[in-house]
Amino acid sequence: MLALTGNRTTPTALALGLLLGLFGTPDALAGDTSGTMRVGDMQFGNALDLRGWTPMLHPADPDGMSYLHAGMLRTPTGALYPYPPMVDAGTPMGQGDWTYDGVLEFGYLHIGGDRNAEYFRQYADWRSGAVLGLFALNFNNRKTGAYVEFRGSHLSGDDQFYRLRGGRYGSYRIEAFYRDMPHTVSTNAYPIWNGVGTTDLTLPAPLVAGASTPAQVAAASAAAPRRTIGLTRTREGLSYEGVLYRNWIGSAAITNEKRTGTRLWGGSMFFNYPFPDDGGILETVRPIDFRTTDINLSVRNVGKLWHFLATYNGSFFRNHKDHLNFESPFALHNVAGAPQVADIKDGQFSLEPDNDYHNVRLDLSRELKWNGQFTVAGAWGTMRQNDALLPPTTCTGTGGIYIAPTADYTFQCANWNTTAALSQRSANARIDTGLLDARVTFQPTPAFGWHAGLRWYREDNKTRYLAYNPLTGQYGYISENGSQGSVVPGETGIFDPTNPLYWSSDVAIHNVPFGYTDSIFELGSDWQFGRKTSLGVTYTYDHNQPKYRERKRVDEQRIKFDWVSRDVIGATVRLSWEFARRDGDKYNYDPYEQFFSESLPGFVDPATGLPAYTVADMRKYDLSDRTESKARAIVTYPWGESATLSATFYGNRDQYDALIGRQNTSTTGTTLQWDWQPTPATTMNAYLGAESSRMGISNVNDADGPDNGAIFGTPGQTNPNLGGPLYPYANQWWEFDRESNRNAGLSFSHDFGRARADISYNYTGSSGHVGYNYATIGALAYRDPAGVAAANAGFPDNTYRTNTLDLGLSFRVNRNVGVRLYGRYETGAFSDWHYAGLDNTLSYDHRLYTDKGGQLHYSVSLVGIMLNLKL
Amino acid sequence: MRVISLFLAALLSVALGIGGMLLSSHGAQAQQAAAGSSTSTPEAGHSPSSGLSQSDIAKMLPATDMGANAARQNNPHLPPINDSAATPFDAAPIPANPLAPNADAIGAKTCVACHAQENMQASHSLHVASFRAGAANSGPQAACESCHGPGSEHAKNPTAPGSIIAFTHDAKTPPQVQAGVCLSCHAGGARQHWIGSIHQNRGLSCTDCHNPMARLSPEGVLAKSSINEVCATCHQDIRAKFNRRSHMPLPEGQMACTDCHNPHGSITKPLLKTDTVNETCYTCHAEKRGPFLFEHAPVRANCLNCHDVHGSNQQTLLVAPIPMLCQQCHTMTLHPNDLQTPAGLGNGPHPDERLIGRGCLTCHSNIHGSNNPSGPKFHK
Repeated sequence: MLALTGNRTTPTALALGLLLGLFGTPDALAGDTSGTMRVGDMQFGNALDLRGWTPMLHPADPDGMSYLHAGMLRTPTGALYPYPPMVDAGTPMGQGDWTYDGVLEFGYLHIGGDRNAEYFRQYADWRSGAVLGLFALNFNNRKTGAYVEFRGSHLSGDDQFYRLRGGRYGSYRIEAFYRDMPHTVSTNAYPIWNGVGTTDLTLPAPLVAGASTPAQVAAASAAAPRRTIGLTRTREGLSYEGVLYRNWIGSAAITNEKRTGTRLWGGSMFFNYPFPDDGGILETVRPIDFRTTDINLSVRNVGKLWHFLATYNGSFFRNHKDHLNFESPFALHNVAGAPQVADIKDGQFSLEPDNDYHNVRLDLSRELKWNGQFTVAGAWGTMRQNDALLPPTTCTGTGGIYIAPTADYTFQCANWNTTAALSQRSANARIDTGLLDARVTFQPTPAFGWHAGLRWYREDNKTRYLAYNPLTGQYGYISENGSQGSVVPGETGIFDPTNPLYWSSDVAIHNVPFGYTDSIFELGSDWQFGRKTSLGVTYTYDHNQPKYRERKRVDEQRIKFDWVSRDVIGATVRLSWEFARRDGDKYNYDPYEQFFSESLPGFVDPATGLPAYTVADMRKYDLSDRTESKARAIVTYPWGESATLSATFYGNRDQYDALIGRQNTSTTGTTLQWDWQPTPATTMNAYLGAESSRMGISNVNDADGPDNGAIFGTPGQTNPNLGGPLYPYANQWWEFDRESNRNAGLSFSHDFGRARADISYNYTGSSGHVGYNYATIGALAYRDPAGVAAANAGFPDNTYRTNTLDLGLSFRVNRNVGVRLYGRYETGAFSDWHYAGLDNTLSYDHRLYTDKGGQLHYSVSLVGIMLNLKL
Repeated sequence: MRVISLFLAALLSVALGIGGMLLSSHGAQAQQAAAGSSTSTPEAGHSPSSGLSQSDIAKMLPATDMGANAARQNNPHLPPINDSAATPFDAAPIPANPLAPNADAIGAKTCVACHAQENMQASHSLHVASFRAGAANSGPQAACESCHGPGSEHAKNPTAPGSIIAFTHDAKTPPQVQAGVCLSCHAGGARQHWIGSIHQNRGLSCTDCHNPMARLSPEGVLAKSSINEVCATCHQDIRAKFNRRSHMPLPEGQMACTDCHNPHGSITKPLLKTDTVNETCYTCHAEKRGPFLFEHAPVRANCLNCHDVHGSNQQTLLVAPIPMLCQQCHTMTLHPNDLQTPAGLGNGPHPDERLIGRGCLTCHSNIHGSNNPSGPKFHK
């Protein structure tokens, strides 16, 4: 129904037609909106005004909420409601029933200090200059409930939003919006290529593709100008919701997002680490030029007994730059020592293909006896793409290595650089999903209730691709743009049952159509003890059947206890504890044989046997046996008449039954918050948070040299077992990532009458440490004295720390005019060993990086003056 | 054995559901009918049973406006109400108060006699303002009691707990009753799965997050000034995670928790708005949806295998530093399974591409899936 004609057509016109067709419906019932059913666009704000409507919030009413009692009431849980604002009845428009109110806030911001610090401007396009803080204008008809609302803000061309809503309460609502959302990825990037942001990265003179020395590349990198890498999301949306007929309510929404910019990317021309002065490792920059159109339609009927909801979600993604070509400056040499015949210097990526998504879902609920409800939801979805495939390589001439007539590992690029080299010209990829979810809930007495649920979900991957070249009769592909086979003889990526040089090549020849079926059964019961205490117990059985994974069946049983009391020394306490155990059928460490050439007729095992693909004792953490426990306590304590103390304590422990792979994770944390509002004029808040976490893994280095076992390809290396010749115990290692996070905040505001002061301070501090142990130095990547010494020193800690102080002073000049002075001072510190040394050079032998990482230290000041006019 | 237990469990669940539905259909209809009758307005002829007559109230309090319709009918300057289309607000029932089953509706005017400040604030909240606008054709008699239930018992003894349906901390009204009042108008749609949701099970009431009595937020009738502040009331630790090095733009005011979660209930445990984690992520990250020619198993299975969506101290929301993240699974022969140490850092004796910068992703850049015929290892 919303099928596209061709890949570039957007369904905008059709959707608009649907929207327009719904306009003008009669006024009748409309409970409220479906906003919380649709993903996204629930929040319009920016870094200057996180709420997006702060200037619209009037000062608190000194009379509070009631003449009958002092202070404020609390939520059922016990948190204080804020004091209500002074009422603004709006300004009458003529003699009619319409009133209006509005606010215009504009002014000037000045940014000083390290304004380009990456983490200062990650999602904020701070610039010095005039800004529109907020323009809001609301029109209301108190008799009919009709309204029109507009909100807009503009910090910069990349940081703005405008939204218009109109409708009639209880009848319909129309909304249109436009917004920009910036995302800075790096402000410390030094790409050397020409054409950044396009699909073609070319080397600047004097660099020559495939023929430049590391010194020349280093010089070009050192001379490259600093650039910012990032993107902007520009979204527009139009939606309608209203009554279709009697109790039938419909909604229709269309959003269109354009995402443009750049992101850091890669580029591989084979390893450099084992082959000095060889290979090519490139951190490139890719273009972002996406457009996504989403359509959401729903119709619902809410009756006395039956609730019905039907939804359609369609999403249509278009990538206007679906590939990236790059030139590599580095020359390749073969390890055989033969003269290099290959001229491999160009690389290519396929970027994300266009895709279409449709999902139809029906939800049906029925009220039952004993305060019961039966709900069933069924959905069908499909994700599809059929983009034209690129050729396996872009090289020209000859690739590979020529050693001798009987050891001719070359390949002709012409046989692989067109789509005639493919078994199919387009992807024809498709995944279908199905969902059935049924639940029944009963509360026969106030003291007892139970519920049961069954969920079935399937993801069926229908994509089938065979890597077969009809031009050569060979299977496989050209690995790493032809570089791998031009450095190491025979590692081209090709399997050829007729050629002794390639008939033992174990290469991927099929895609793996991963999918799964997940069935979940749940049974739970709740007991109410007295008026304020309840206990709930829920048992969940999750039966997962992955396809083409190491296990065909993974089962998890979970029991969860919830205890809620509203009167523990006056506090509301919510406790939960859950325990889960996961297991499954036999773990097959290598289920992928059928997707490799070893499964094809004519495959010949190497003389020493096919080395083990991986260690048999490894257990992937999403499939391994696991024991999990989680606990959480949320406490809300009303402290006197005007304060609330709230705290959270939480932790989880996961133990994975794995000799190799993820072995354990744990998290322990707490938060403590104090909110105080002694009068309508004063509020204060203090916050502390701490969390520590740990993840532990184990792995084993294969025997890849005489100093840690035997060189690769030695007899016996078909043994996949830990402790065998390929994976000796001596090479096992253990690693853990330990993180510590601290947060603190303090805010205070006081209204002095004609002036109001707002002060807040926030601190975030994180520290991460990666540690490791190893059986012997056979585990290490580098086993020479320098390498061992560096290993003994350990990784430096990673840190991320920010301190932010915000000061605000608002003056009311008169009833309609106000002035706001605003200041922020922010400091930050960052270190990440991934970027260690990159501030000195981005070039290491045949490796070239682009991003130096976030600034190690920064401080930024921001001051502004805003004029606030009440309209 | 497990298959059998699952089958039996499924059978039991379906049987209970269908059985309950069939057995209770008549009863439910009867209940609804009873509810309908109990929520009829005083004009329907319900006689006071509390012992407090209209005349008693008249002596104690200002005259009620329960006769507003009649007054309207007699006012030649106002359109006769019978000529106006009924609005949903006209149909708003007065909920029964289980703690004061004999109470009778007394009208908003009586309530406002004491609750003047509340009336002023509530009148300018979105909820009550819209309610009054919608009910303008038929008079405001149902305004307060449409949520708080019939008020005669409360008027008679204002301090008696439970005499009125209340929504605050000291209220005697159970949270389920409170939620039931709201759902009597707001059922279905985004709230279709409230029953059985974790927020319902943990005893939350609508008024833990909403305050329809004051305009604390320009939209959403929230209990605080923004959605994220409301959620952080309980989920402080989650809010704090958004302050970490990599995060989605929630602290910058461009996202709300409700962009991904439906706090009113959904068919997923974490209250996601879509059927799965990945479908939620794909809504904004549509380019990751594919499907790709070559898929990466944990990516297709669940984005959370590698990403902590609420915030991370690693790049791009990763749950662990690279290459450790990858080496949890990639123990394969040759380059993946070496123990990387500071020797391989940019300032180490052996700079190593598996560790520096984006690490593994420098070569395996298309880690979310490759559509290139030469991309089974995500190099292309």
